[in-house]
Amino acid sequence: MNFLAPAGFAFAASIPVVILFYLLKRKRVVKLVSSTLLWQQFLAETQASAPFQKLKKNWLLILQIILLIFVVLALARPFFASKSKPAELRVVILDASGSMQATDETPTRFEKARAEALKWVDGLKDNDQMVILQAGANTEVRQSATSEKAALRRALQACTCSDSPTRLVPALRMAESLVRDRRNAEIHLFSDGAVPELKEFENRALPLVYHRVGKDSNNLGITALDARANPENARQRAIYASVANFSTNSKSTELELLLDDHLLETRSLTVGPGETSPQVFLAAQARDGVFTVRSTAKDDLAADNQASIVSLLPKPVKVLLVSRGNRLLEKALRSAADVELTTATDMADAGTAFDFIVLDDVAPAIWPKGNVLAIHVVNTNWLESVSHVDAPPIVDWKSAHPLLRYASFDNVQVMQSLTAKTPTWAVSLVDAPQAPLILAGELGRQRIIWIGFDTLESNWPLRVSFPIFIANAVEWLNPANAKSSQLLVKAGDAFRLALARPETGAQVTLPSGVTKNVVVDPAANEFVFGDTYNQGVYRLKLGTNDTVFCVDLLDAAESNIKPRDELSLGQYTKVSATTMQRSNMELWRTIASLGLVVLLIEWWYYHRRTV
Amino acid sequence: MALLTPELLRRLEQFQLLAARRAKSSAKGERRSRARGQSVEFADYRTYVHGDDFRYLDWNLYGRLERLFLKLYEEERELPVRIFLDASESMTFGEPRKFDFARQVAAAIGYVALSGFDRVSVIPFPNAPANAETDGGRSEESAMTTRELAARGALRSVRGKKSTMEFFQNLTALTAGGAANLNESLRRGALEARQAGVAVVLSDFLDPAGYETGLTALVGRGFQVDLVQILAPEELSPTTFGDLRLVDSETGGMQEVTFGRYRMKAYQQTLQNFIQRMREFCQGRGINFFTASSKTPLEELLLRQLRQAEVWG
Repeated sequence: MNFLAPAGFAFAASIPVVILFYLLKRKRVVKLVSSTLLWQQFLAETQASAPFQKLKKNWLLILQIILLIFVVLALARPFFASKSKPAELRVVILDASGSMQATDETPTRFEKARAEALKWVDGLKDNDQMVILQAGANTEVRQSATSEKAALRRALQACTCSDSPTRLVPALRMAESLVRDRRNAEIHLFSDGAVPELKEFENRALPLVYHRVGKDSNNLGITALDARANPENARQRAIYASVANFSTNSKSTELELLLDDHLLETRSLTVGPGETSPQVFLAAQARDGVFTVRSTAKDDLAADNQASIVSLLPKPVKVLLVSRGNRLLEKALRSAADVELTTATDMADAGTAFDFIVLDDVAPAIWPKGNVLAIHVVNTNWLESVSHVDAPPIVDWKSAHPLLRYASFDNVQVMQSLTAKTPTWAVSLVDAPQAPLILAGELGRQRIIWIGFDTLESNWPLRVSFPIFIANAVEWLNPANAKSSQLLVKAGDAFRLALARPETGAQVTLPSGVTKNVVVDPAANEFVFGDTYNQGVYRLKLGTNDTVFCVDLLDAAESNIKPRDELSLGQYTKVSATTMQRSNMELWRTIASLGLVVLLIEWWYYHRRTV
Repeated sequence: MALLTPELLRRLEQFQLLAARRAKSSAKGERRSRARGQSVEFADYRTYVHGDDFRYLDWNLYGRLERLFLKLYEEERELPVRIFLDASESMTFGEPRKFDFARQVAAAIGYVALSGFDRVSVIPFPNAPANAETDGGRSEESAMTTRELAARGALRSVRGKKSTMEFFQNLTALTAGGAANLNESLRRGALEARQAGVAVVLSDFLDPAGYETGLTALVGRGFQVDLVQILAPEELSPTTFGDLRLVDSETGGMQEVTFGRYRMKAYQQTLQNFIQRMREFCQGRGINFFTASSKTPLEELLLRQLRQAEVWG
């Protein structure tokens, strides 16, 4: 047996009250009278003289009739028909992102949104259906279409808020597919509007109803964090942090820097309204550790008041240069920071002892498994249909790519080059009209830079951009850098780690102290952990290795908790926050409560008038 | 305690008890009786029979008819007035006390009767005062009891206007207490009376056993019966509300009642029903019935109600 409104059983609490009333013993006053004869007759006459008597004005009777009216009304389950049109299907999207944890609504925006959604569940008519989607870092279907209110309530109660940024697009996409071809369907989004562009849904005539939650934008958040070697002092680490103030007044805070929970430095800081204050901390670091930057200011969103980053001590980069002799390249490699260069004329093994390998116009017998800078070599596993071009003019290069930072290809001429179609795993960095000349990308877990021409057949080594490019390449190809970037994930994103050897199980300690056991497929070459919904430091025990990784919000859009009055779907379509009331608000609980009040008045009146 | 004010006594002197029936007493008095005898009131003629007193022959008639007729005269006799006074515990209630009121009424009726040369008997019931039965140990109590017993004895038969003061004193000496048996008292009073006369019953009639057999016995004995029911204001309109446990002063019986102002009307209806049943009972037997609160002014009852009902005139 199921109950539509199990909360109604709370009224059963009134039963002991009634029993209590009857347990109360009536205290009788003893009185001596001349004779009880008249009283006996009085009782006999008033008790059972006739089955019916004339109706008299009796307040008890009136109260009881009012009570009965209330009870009957409640049983009839009346409701207010509201402005909202009847919808056969309502898709409820509950924003469960970090900004929904803001406490400007009591207790939080998320709880407020949940409460609002629960009211809509209450207002659901018997035949209407509802779907509950939770939109955090990924979209979860909490309840598929049903009219069963208990299940919907359970689903809403089971929703949890995470520290992750909002990814509303998949949720809306799913909702759209649910309401497609349905008449009278609505999508109800309960959110603060701190969402990225929803351009995809422009001109889709989405039946979207936006329920805004949130009042204030009182938030000071850390929106960026990075830890690098101090360029001026290699023994020190420089920690970059951006502190943004999204409130309408300037805010002061103490910014603390901690290394593995030891306080290193505290800095007072005042950030004007809408401004971002970049901060650089310099700290000595003797071993690998976790830097945490913490803001002590009181604001509505706690998730972005702290950010952590794993900082690994720099190690010398071991590079193998396979070349028949290229002094310019060798010099450029040696000038890069912390490089241990080994030169060889050919490769006999896969080169696993080196961090990366430079193949300069030498096709090796065994292709390396690690990262590779390949110059003027052909590997058909990488590229298809390699061809020759003579004197290809350089027409374009991607200066935004980290490899081409500060590297310009003005005045670079190439005598001849290999060229190939850009494969799917790579992007073209330098383009000739016919085809790309330099490609970079990740094939599997192997980072590859492919330069189609022999540098000695060009004037590039004579240009300033050449050593800069080589320095960039050393940084990009250094697996340690890649690893340290892997150790910082955004909340809600999966943490990935390459497995050196097959593992069967792992233990992850969450920031809350809970330890989770994860089963790993022995055939997998990568460990993936998805339960990264909360900001903080996670500790992974995988086989004999301990790895620390950090989960941070670090999202300016999410830290900006100002509730938006309208959602922009692309440039022209906007959805305003609704003032719509939930439909068909049922009244029977209110009426039943009134009935209970009348009952209590009746009891009080009955006892008062006998005195 | 002055039972009656001099002003009231003066006004009562004008009254005489009106008896619908002829006096049946054997003693001479001022009442007309069925008995023929010596007086100035002519009653009838009858044929002379041998041995009659010649002094009563109507010689004028003999002159016309030449037959001897004897003139008969009514004999005037006294009217016995028996006052049954309820002196039970229940009469001690009320403010003023019902018993005090009853004694005042008894005094007034007695005074009127004595003024008319009638014999008055006051019969308090129950027979013995309650405290005489319960404790006779202490001297003061027993002295009072002795005095009361003497008063009760003296009140059995009072005659002549000169006895008025003594009559009043004896009435004052009476006390109330104990449980009454109205029926038994009236029945015995009816049997004891040598002649019927006027019987006045002063009581609240709140006897669980009822009043019917006693009154029937009185009527059957030939009494002209007048009832004065005396109720306390508290009985007419109770002032105690709430959840009550009522204790009967005479029987000691308990009755649990929840009473509020809202039930006042119902209570008074019960009371009226009780009085109405009694009134109907009385009407059927030619009994004068009066009901009065102990708070009623005495003049109102004596000078207006009893007079209108021709108890006296």
